[in-house]
Amino acid sequence: MSVAVHGVGTSMFGKQRELSASELVWLAVDEALRDAELTEVDAVYLGTVFGAPGVAQRSLHALGLVDLPVVAVENACASGTTAYHEAYQAVQLGRYERVLAVGVEHLTSVFSGAIVPEPSDVEGRSGLALPALYALAASRYADVHGVGDEDLAQVSVKNHGHSVANPRAAHRDPVSVEEVLTSRPVADPLTLLQCASISDGAAAAVLAPATGAVGEVTIESSELRSGKAWDHRSDRVWGFDIVERTARASFEAAGVAPSDIDVWEMHDAFTIGEIVTTEAVGLAAEGEGARLLRSGQTRLGGARPVNPSGGLLSRGHPLGATGLAQIAEVCWQLRGEAGGRQVDGARLGAVETMGGGVAGIDGNACVVTVLSA
Amino acid sequence: MQAPPVDPRPRVVESQSGQWQIVGWRCVDCGHPQATVSPRCVACGGDHVADRFGPTGTVWSATVVRVPAGDRQPPYGLAYVDLDGGPRILTHTGGDGRLSVGAVVALVAPTDDGDPRVEVSA
Repeated sequence: MSVAVHGVGTSMFGKQRELSASELVWLAVDEALRDAELTEVDAVYLGTVFGAPGVAQRSLHALGLVDLPVVAVENACASGTTAYHEAYQAVQLGRYERVLAVGVEHLTSVFSGAIVPEPSDVEGRSGLALPALYALAASRYADVHGVGDEDLAQVSVKNHGHSVANPRAAHRDPVSVEEVLTSRPVADPLTLLQCASISDGAAAAVLAPATGAVGEVTIESSELRSGKAWDHRSDRVWGFDIVERTARASFEAAGVAPSDIDVWEMHDAFTIGEIVTTEAVGLAAEGEGARLLRSGQTRLGGARPVNPSGGLLSRGHPLGATGLAQIAEVCWQLRGEAGGRQVDGARLGAVETMGGGVAGIDGNACVVTVLSA
Repeated sequence: MQAPPVDPRPRVVESQSGQWQIVGWRCVDCGHPQATVSPRCVACGGDHVADRFGPTGTVWSATVVRVPAGDRQPPYGLAYVDLDGGPRILTHTGGDGRLSVGAVVALVAPTDDGDPRVEVSA
């Protein structure tokens, strides 16, 4: 069965201490239901990482979404897209007809500073915070491929440039290479402006069988994978292989090539992530991600625009909400509703989200989905 | 009373000759070395037996963390180290200088926090 996104919605993103997690969900779901012209659904999948027990039902019942199957899922930074993937499969397999996928995170009420490494994890217990994990990838990548700090900074410059036209992004000011490189060091070689910020937010999408109506965005494919072993046998940086495997499967299922995609939202929680991901999804050869970036192809106006929303680097990164915020952006792009950041004539879009934090594997989860309008 | 979390980190021991090593496992079927506990070999599913790795190895990548993370105060160096003939492990590196990729290092006594630690070999 062909499945479509019938409506999307999001809250604002950024530090929103004055709003509860429920209020963020209300904003996103209300907009998504209105967009889909629905008042009820048949099931809900909600993605969150640090959400309080019951965060799904606590927020949903006030919207009248009661007496139905509600499932909460956790897959690190890919929790939102995992909820979306499960919603997609549920509709595709005929289990439910109208399914709401929601992602939410209220990080400012959980952490006073950076996210605390998980003490039950072998590397988390040794103080491996997520920025340090990506910094270790950047360190290796730079040594093998000869990429400099300025190349990393250019990812931040590009994406912050895009977010100027995204009214929902947490950070909307353009930044220069010098500002990126002189911002506070976080984990060498990564500086503050190369790291997605702690944020609060929610995002939602309503999925149902495709009818061909105007405004629908068809889901051509969606793939979800967990990581394989990442150890002394691995030559590639952490996270590369899981994205490559998932993207390859998703493009094969959709019957399109990465070069066919008009607009991308991908996981740039840290600058090195976008460079590596452009290679892993097949936009650039291995080691050529920085060259692709320098060519301008991944900028708005280029042939392969990546993260026209400003990405996680600009939007902020409310973990569970991020994946559905990416889905919402690509849907707006494919419907021609992205305003000043619109990719002209976009007909085919892709979203990639990946989450990590478990030592020994190359990622907790990755979702790659292809959408069309 | 809340139980403290089980410490999942690799076990570091000092041999009789004064060398620091990781006590881990090696698969009897495929020879895969690992520093962390699992019910069977993570590579092939075979049985594994106790083995020791180190003290020497090579830096695969390295960073210095410059923000607080949980109970850790900055700066602290971290590196992935491929132990010779053994597994890749996350180690602390001490000081606030980033180790070079490819540097030859050796395990030394763990940090006060109980983390595996390496120093650049002379």
